[in-house]
Amino acid sequence: MQHCLPEQLALAALREPLPDDDAFHLAACDLCRAEVASLRRAVEAVSVPELADPGPSVTPPPAVWGAIAAATGVTAAPAGMTAPVAAAPSAAAPSVGPSSEETPGGAQVLPFRTRRRGLVLVAAAAVAGAVLGAGVTAVVRSGESTEALTAVALDPLDDEQASGRAEVLVREDGSRALQVDLDAPALDGEYYELWLIEPQVVDMVPLGVLRPGSQTFELPAGLDLGEYPLVDVSVEPLDGDPTHSGISVARGELDT
Amino acid sequence: MGGLLVARPAPTSSVVVVPDDAMAAARGAVDPDDAEVGRRFAAGDEQALAWAYERWSGQVHGMAVRAFGPGPDAEDVTQQTFIAAWTGRARFRPGESPLPAWLVGICRHKIADAWGRRERQRRETDAAMSQAQAAPLGGSGPGIDSVVADRVLVLDELDRLGQPQRGIIELAFFADLTHAQIAERTGIPLGTVKSHIRRTLERLRSRLEGDGAALPA
Ligand SMILES: [Zn+2]
Repeated sequence: MQHCLPEQLALAALREPLPDDDAFHLAACDLCRAEVASLRRAVEAVSVPELADPGPSVTPPPAVWGAIAAATGVTAAPAGMTAPVAAAPSAAAPSVGPSSEETPGGAQVLPFRTRRRGLVLVAAAAVAGAVLGAGVTAVVRSGESTEALTAVALDPLDDEQASGRAEVLVREDGSRALQVDLDAPALDGEYYELWLIEPQVVDMVPLGVLRPGSQTFELPAGLDLGEYPLVDVSVEPLDGDPTHSGISVARGELDT
Repeated sequence: MGGLLVARPAPTSSVVVVPDDAMAAARGAVDPDDAEVGRRFAAGDEQALAWAYERWSGQVHGMAVRAFGPGPDAEDVTQQTFIAAWTGRARFRPGESPLPAWLVGICRHKIADAWGRRERQRRETDAAMSQAQAAPLGGSGPGIDSVVADRVLVLDELDRLGQPQRGIIELAFFADLTHAQIAERTGIPLGTVKSHIRRTLERLRSRLEGDGAALPA
């Protein structure tokens, strides 16, 4: 009896129906069936619904582009990216200096309420010593009675020249502030902005305009720093667009 | 931050300085067609990445969401796809395939890679949980993880195929077309389609049997 043609066996491996003669032979011939099985291994590996040609289109969240722009350093932006990125509805315009943004997600439990677990200065020790400068210690400022709870180095992204340090300060009345020391070149026609971003880089809270040097930003009451642990410094064009430009120059992660 | 945007000195009190004007002027009044976006992408024109994202991120993200559901895993795949496409643009041949097809191909890799990572994590967790005392001999049996590894190998081999072989086998694998439909779609004679399919499946088989048998854990 004549075996199936190699081309027919390949089609059988793709699960195409064969002409009757071939189908009958294949059902009875171990040799031909073994051939089909060996060719089918590749088919089964990739011919799965998840890898099939694109189906319904799904618009990715805006922050996906932000991450791509940050990773590639590309400054052009898709047209759709003018839509608001930040979750904070009050982010109508970048505010200067200490800001009073509202909490985006309503009331949340403050992780710092049960503070004093040994003054958590951990992150600092673990990250890039180079930019930490004078080291991070618990600071009690006379007069204001302020404690530093956690601090983080802001490391330059890619080959950017910006770096620095951010420190969460908690006052006696429980209010919090983020003190930032930024070492970065002065900008012309653009400005630095400070953000708190969640780990998936989707939602973010704008804290305000930042300049090289040392500044303190008020943290919104109720904001869970555990949900927004990334301290991010972006470069924003003066275009009136309140959303993150996608260009980040330094970033650190708070260890809360 | 070399030359991010055209920086014009502006008094802080002035209302608007719109650097976007410069970009809008540079890109011309009309957006280019898909083929032109592909050519500019290959040439490293940053605006082409933005256009590609505008036009095809929905397709790519749709695939990622289909594989992982909405959320961080899918977003990571989409993000990685565009980043890899941009950094690997030297390998993109605008004359050989449309840019969206190339992006979709990269997306398949990223999905397969993510499955591979999950599989490794699962094995590590299993190994850690199974025994603390006996040295794990790494002999992961056949099963899910061998399919995961096969997948990576096959996708990799597909990248090495020239045209029209690659287009033909992708229509069979990913568009679920029969050889007759492929011939009709591509205008390539039926017999030629069949022999390309045969040769490509043989090639994939040798790749799998050649270095797919024993993979590093
Ligand atoms: Zn036979």
